[in-house]
Amino acid sequence: MAKPLSSRLAGSGVTLKARALSFFIDWVVWGYIAYGVMFFLNYYWYTVHVDWWGTLTLPTWGWPLVVLGTLEMAGLCRALGRSLGKRALGLNLVGEHGQRLRRGQRIYRFLLWNITLPIQPILYALRRPLLHERRSSTQLVHSPRAPGVKGKSSLLTQWGIMAVFLCVFTVWLGWLITEINVPVLISRAPTAGRIWSQMVSPDFRYFIEPDPVFALRGLSYSILNLMVVTIFMALLATILGAIFALPVSFAGARNIMGHNALGWAVYAVVRGLFNVFRSIETVLWALVFAVWVGWGTPFAGVLALTVHTIAALGKLYSEQVESIDPGPLEAIVAVGGSRWQVIRYAVLPQVVPSFWAFTLYRWDINVRMSTIIALVGGGGIGDMLFYYKNEGLWRMVGAVVIVIVAVVWSMDYISGRLRERIA
Amino acid sequence: MTEPYLRIEKLTKVYERGQVLALDALSLDVEKREFLVVIGLSGSGKSTLLRCINRLIEPTSGRIMLGSVDLTRLSPERMRKMRRRMGMIFQHFNLIRRAPVITNVLTGRLGYMPGWKAMLGMFSKEDQDRALESLERVGLREKAYVRADELSGGQQQRVGIARALMQEPEILLADEPVSALDPATSHSIMQYLEWMNREREVTVLASLHFLSLARRYGTRIVALKDGQRVFDGPPAEIDNAKFKEIYGEDAEEVEVR
Repeated sequence: MAKPLSSRLAGSGVTLKARALSFFIDWVVWGYIAYGVMFFLNYYWYTVHVDWWGTLTLPTWGWPLVVLGTLEMAGLCRALGRSLGKRALGLNLVGEHGQRLRRGQRIYRFLLWNITLPIQPILYALRRPLLHERRSSTQLVHSPRAPGVKGKSSLLTQWGIMAVFLCVFTVWLGWLITEINVPVLISRAPTAGRIWSQMVSPDFRYFIEPDPVFALRGLSYSILNLMVVTIFMALLATILGAIFALPVSFAGARNIMGHNALGWAVYAVVRGLFNVFRSIETVLWALVFAVWVGWGTPFAGVLALTVHTIAALGKLYSEQVESIDPGPLEAIVAVGGSRWQVIRYAVLPQVVPSFWAFTLYRWDINVRMSTIIALVGGGGIGDMLFYYKNEGLWRMVGAVVIVIVAVVWSMDYISGRLRERIA
Repeated sequence: MTEPYLRIEKLTKVYERGQVLALDALSLDVEKREFLVVIGLSGSGKSTLLRCINRLIEPTSGRIMLGSVDLTRLSPERMRKMRRRMGMIFQHFNLIRRAPVITNVLTGRLGYMPGWKAMLGMFSKEDQDRALESLERVGLREKAYVRADELSGGQQQRVGIARALMQEPEILLADEPVSALDPATSHSIMQYLEWMNREREVTVLASLHFLSLARRYGTRIVALKDGQRVFDGPPAEIDNAKFKEIYGEDAEEVEVR
């Protein structure tokens, strides 16, 4: 706005954090390539020379060597040319006055960088110029692309080549690691085909009438019975989840909480909980609750879905609250409104439509999740599905799958249409 | 010598993030019923000054005396009570876009309502009548139940004025009230402010971009540059030399008719 109070020290315009992050990216890339090379060596040497070598194993001192080697490679690349990490943060290495560097300077910088690495953070803390930069007359700067210059957009730039290389490398490596096996896919096709042909001629005998053989806790169920249970599991989890997530989401929004230290603490805790609870998948929650309240009970399923819904919706809600226009908030504060009035009159009206959309979207997910959650003891239609599968009654499986697809599809359609109306 | 109505003493605001000095020990006395126009380039501290007065922005140091009350030392709760007497209108109107116009106007009464009634949206009959009256005043009576974002920019700013009217303010802070509007609409909005100043005896502090509007409506002009006062006086005293000093050598005056 007006005048800066202190200008940053010349030559240290790029913060330590940015340098470290950019270096870390380079290191990860080199580490990845090193891992891949090790894997290939292992794989192909073993295949070819199985008799006399066996698996290539590193001695104990080998791993530190690999770490050091990749670190050095990353450092060298960063000094010699452009690197992915520098590119990612928009950094560039230039001379003291922004001129191009000579190769000698670059190598000199790299050597000095190696020597001074331990004292670099100290120099930063003391706000002193970095030794390796000063002695080699180089500096790392933020360099946005010159606005007047047209960049190359073909794949034949060094970044394009690198991207293609990394993709090919990853597919090759992944192909071996995940044991992709096309011959099996083809040779077993007839077996799968027999099951499929049974599934597409489904047997709806037990659609309404309960299956006398299949029983859960001593009671017989029909497909329809269990489908109703499943739908209600999803509905209940969505509604309960939304009710709990709504108030908590405000505590997880920076623009609502970030006015004092206590607010920040609450914000951090709430956001942390959202992230932890969300990253534990619904099926894992189902395992927990199935052990707790009874294996195969719909109640366990509802609890599992609800917990995950609270975390997922809470995060979506909070992000929505954070992205609102701050103008109305300001206006309500300016008329003498309290914190609660600001939420009621400035925040809620802005977020309610997207809250509905998120909730309906979550309902979609819950319907889909509730159909398979029985696999881990959550109850519902999945119990029947896996029972028939285990018995090899593929026609019955077909019937159950068709009902599930029909329900999921129609719920999806309804919620989609509702979301369209809201948006 | 009597105390001035609003006295700003050595007001300083530093934005920590960018280490930027937005207001640099600014002192200013404002008399009751003045129409004070603050001019200056973008980033000269106009908005910061206005927002410090009702403490939408917390000043770094300095005092703001309203009568004998130091606004900078009030507790949040006392400040909230004080804000009821300060209307504010904004460059981008800051209406609740999805709510009907009448609700937007009624929010002007929030500071006067008990908490639970406000939460339930139970505005008294008296307030509702008053809201319609305010809308009548700004010529938007027939738009009362239309959604706010369906109105044009000028109409939205008039809703903003109606909202401020509901507060029955003593002071009106207008932060670039016409910057987002076309010249014809600008005059209509400025005339409402002038009316509030003359008929309702409201002290108006408005920041404006156009010097012609400032000359036409202000009873006194204060020019800011880099958070400091570079001019203070009646509109007629700003000549070409002063203008260049405020806006820089390359500036050319643009007229809004």
